[in-house]
Amino acid sequence: MKNKIKVYRAMHDLTQDQLATKLNVTRQTILAIEKGKYDPSLDLAFKIARYFRVSIEEIFTYEVRKE
Amino acid sequence: MKRNTFFIFAGIVALLEVGILWISIEMNNPLPIQVGFVIGIVLVYAARRMVADVIQDERTVLISQKSALRTLEVFWVIFFLLSIGGVIYGFNRPFPVRPHLPAPPAEPPIGLFGIFGFIQLALLCLMIFLYVGFRIYYARQYGEFEKDEE
Repeated sequence: MKNKIKVYRAMHDLTQDQLATKLNVTRQTILAIEKGKYDPSLDLAFKIARYFRVSIEEIFTYEVRKE
Repeated sequence: MKRNTFFIFAGIVALLEVGILWISIEMNNPLPIQVGFVIGIVLVYAARRMVADVIQDERTVLISQKSALRTLEVFWVIFFLLSIGGVIYGFNRPFPVRPHLPAPPAEPPIGLFGIFGFIQLALLCLMIFLYVGFRIYYARQYGEFEKDEE
């Protein structure tokens, strides 16, 4: 799953740590999502989208993972 | 409480446990280490609840779950192998299968309990090593050791 969290974070001038604190997750989780190492749950994905006041599709794009 | 303070506290508790273990061996009484261990675990869990930083979220829970499942999958096989080995030795008697039990000794040999305890501890250590190994593997898979670009 691709995402634009890094872009939106830059637009809102937020560090990973600050975003993590707002979403009540660890900084490593934000880093892992940005790097595509971890796909967030629907709950967290909606939280991220709501925090940036955009739709979930605007931030996350589904693509089949190559095994 | 800060996250690092918690880790230091947990380390101190672990050191105290080692001390209490030594006292228990000196006193030849398991009660101090048994009570001390329970108190230590309660203290660490209580301190963990007081950590203000986020130390657990859905990703860390997923890592823990996967590691625990893999540990169980591997450990039960090892545990079964050791246990079935013990059963085979225990039942290593001529047919019929039921063993001819000798008359029980007046007092059970103390050394046997010690060996049993060591085997249990070795298995526990193996379980912990397996869990830590799987945890590192899954933490790596889910980006725990990724380099920060900030």
